[in-house]
Amino acid sequence: MSQPAVERTEATPVPAKRGRERIVLQRLLPFLSLIILFVALAISSKHFLTNTNLSSVVRQTAVINIMALGMTMIIINGGIDLSVGSILAMGGLLGTMAMEMGLSIPAGILAGIATGLLCGLANGLMITQLRIAPFIVTLGTLGIFRGTALIISNGLPVHRIPQRFSFLGEGNVLGVPFVLWILVACGLATHVVLEHTRLGRYTFAIGSNREAAVYAGIPVKFHTTAVYAIGGMLTGLAGMIEASRLMTGQPTAGQGYELQAIAAVVIGGGSLQGGEGSVVGTLIGAFIMGLLSNGSDLLGVSPYLQQAIIGAVIILAVTLDELRKRGTASA
Amino acid sequence: MLLELHHIEKRYGGVAALTDGNLAVAPGEVHLLLGENGAGKSTLMKIIAGIVERDAGQMMWQGREVHLKTPSEAAAIGISMVHQESLLAPHLTVAENLYLGREERLPFGWVRRSRMMEAASRLIAEHGFPLRAEWRVEKLTPAGKQLVEICRAILHGSSLVIFDEPTSSLSGSEAAEVFRIVRTLRERKVGVIYITHRLDELGSVGDRVTILRDGRTMHTGPLVELTTGSIIRHMVGREVSALYQRNPLPPGEERLRVEHLTRRGELSDICFSLRAGEIVGMAGLIGAGRTELCRALFGVDPIDAGRISVGGRPVSIGSPKEAVKAGLALVTEDRQVTGLALRLPIAHNITLANVTAISRFGFLNGNAQNTAAADFIGRLRIRAGSPHQLAGRLSGGNQQKVVIAKWLFRQAQVFLFDEPTRGIDVGAKAEVFNLMDELAREGAAILMVSSEMPELLQVADRILVMREGRITGELPGRTTQEEIMRYAALETQPVSEERP
Repeated sequence: MSQPAVERTEATPVPAKRGRERIVLQRLLPFLSLIILFVALAISSKHFLTNTNLSSVVRQTAVINIMALGMTMIIINGGIDLSVGSILAMGGLLGTMAMEMGLSIPAGILAGIATGLLCGLANGLMITQLRIAPFIVTLGTLGIFRGTALIISNGLPVHRIPQRFSFLGEGNVLGVPFVLWILVACGLATHVVLEHTRLGRYTFAIGSNREAAVYAGIPVKFHTTAVYAIGGMLTGLAGMIEASRLMTGQPTAGQGYELQAIAAVVIGGGSLQGGEGSVVGTLIGAFIMGLLSNGSDLLGVSPYLQQAIIGAVIILAVTLDELRKRGTASA
Repeated sequence: MLLELHHIEKRYGGVAALTDGNLAVAPGEVHLLLGENGAGKSTLMKIIAGIVERDAGQMMWQGREVHLKTPSEAAAIGISMVHQESLLAPHLTVAENLYLGREERLPFGWVRRSRMMEAASRLIAEHGFPLRAEWRVEKLTPAGKQLVEICRAILHGSSLVIFDEPTSSLSGSEAAEVFRIVRTLRERKVGVIYITHRLDELGSVGDRVTILRDGRTMHTGPLVELTTGSIIRHMVGREVSALYQRNPLPPGEERLRVEHLTRRGELSDICFSLRAGEIVGMAGLIGAGRTELCRALFGVDPIDAGRISVGGRPVSIGSPKEAVKAGLALVTEDRQVTGLALRLPIAHNITLANVTAISRFGFLNGNAQNTAAADFIGRLRIRAGSPHQLAGRLSGGNQQKVVIAKWLFRQAQVFLFDEPTRGIDVGAKAEVFNLMDELAREGAAILMVSSEMPELLQVADRILVMREGRITGELPGRTTQEEIMRYAALETQPVSEERP
């Protein structure tokens, strides 16, 4: 994980010398908070550091995390996708239905991913071709995709799934949850795309100043559409993992997940104005939320209070990030 | 004296906007305030209107020293300002905007709409403006919005009205109405400060003149004692000509040919060509269609008719993407909006239009990017800490150099510069000119749009003049401002007819 950290600092302006340490500290703040939270939970609950508990944190967080990777690209592009919860349901449902109809497990997983990709592609095309704000388009498709999932399934979950499908969400490879390997692979790929490819460079440019990107001759519509399609694809995969964990294809899966995915990006330093965000930040953001929720469970904090705590953390994280930015701007 | 300003100073962060601002206005006087972009005119006016506070110096209002902290304090003592950029609420009607913040006070915040409408209609009719009280402001043209701003200032019956380039977006007849209003205000013993860039309209409104340069008052005196030449000398000084010298080479082959280019309502039958090694100036008043021509050539706005050839080959340009591919570059007039990604590093901005050159199979080569960026930062003398500094943290002149570097890295052949020196200081201007000269020597063809005529006379090898969407004249580089104005000004010039 040290490589991404180097990339982040490389993109920062050269600060005044005396402020440098302070700025490095502020930049590391989300990471430090995650470690402090981890240590605090390890001390206060004897159940926290057990293999079962840590695996369950990883499994619970992986779904949101993989969605949040796509959301990171979309938010850096200057957009937003409110429909990811519904896309997740569509992916999980159609993937499991494909298996029910006799397709192999890998083919079913691919079907789920392809469904997500198509949903994301539809979002992207509507945003770029109809020139409607992403917020509106995806607010609409949030309903459309959910409704479609309910219609297709007639509101009933898919149960007849091969037993071995549970390996995707619940299996271990080399003693580590399989979903963690998937998450690491997706995280690395997203990071490489964002920081080391033309698509990533254009994503930052479009989010930072769409007009300037158009004037520089960048195919803005194509790349914007591609980003939504990639986001949908990752969400489709997350949908298959969710289905595997529940061992059902639920048309009602993933409700409210979009807000958690957005929160992870934002806690990790992404800006809803576009042009800012990172894979490392998003992963940290998602894990902070995962640990908070797990810790509250272990310490017997009421689930009602949990929601309020996570809400407060979002506001706190963004406030700190804003202060940091103002600090560097005036340095 | 109504208003006196002595030795006003104002800094924004590290930039000194005003170092020695002096100005005195008497009641019933129309005082012209002149100066180049960035000379400090707007800052001085904002201090008078209570929008910004001065750092040092004295402001006397009717003999007493005042410190204005907000625009409402300024309004309370009788100072109002007609802003250049519209500060109106777009979703409200004209009448509501006129009375915004000054509605009749009734219980429960109730608004008596009909009375407001009536009063507003009367005022508009009195001045014969093409407005209606019930129109929504968002539907108005820039000129219409400007008229609403003017109505608002005169409605609130001030002792001092500041006009900040009121005619820049107005047509001839509308401008004539503004001059009439200014004269009415003068008769009512109201003091008027009038900022303008259009030297042709000075005679129709002004009594006395104050000229600012680089944040200092350079000259104050009656208008009749000045000639256009002496005004320009006070405004521009000698610095630019000393720093920049153009030595044109004989022009080479044709790089850009534009034939009968037409865009309904904006451009009609534009024909011209640019040759390698040439810097061609484009003069005209604001609204003559020069920016529109750049946008149409660059594929931002679609054209209705006409042919464009680049390097002898006909091209069809339907988007900026195709324009860039054809070898065109557009340095826009508003670089922060359309030229730069301010929150990204310089290196990303420089390579933005040619990411292909620093990537293989879609993967970026960080070394190639950094080498290219460092190379241009050195060549163009961009004053930056490192290639990773954010573009938004550079000064205006250095930002402009980054935009130019972006097109150099793209190896563009035809450069369209739209107001390339807007908002940058004198030293950086000379550097931009030198860069253009260098570009031309290396074989690029350059079209340079500028509203600053001295600048065109100094830089351009020949000058095209536009008026109302047409090219009305072509002049050699060593022409005069008067000659340019002859082609640029409106044929029926209401300004000169009504000269007092």
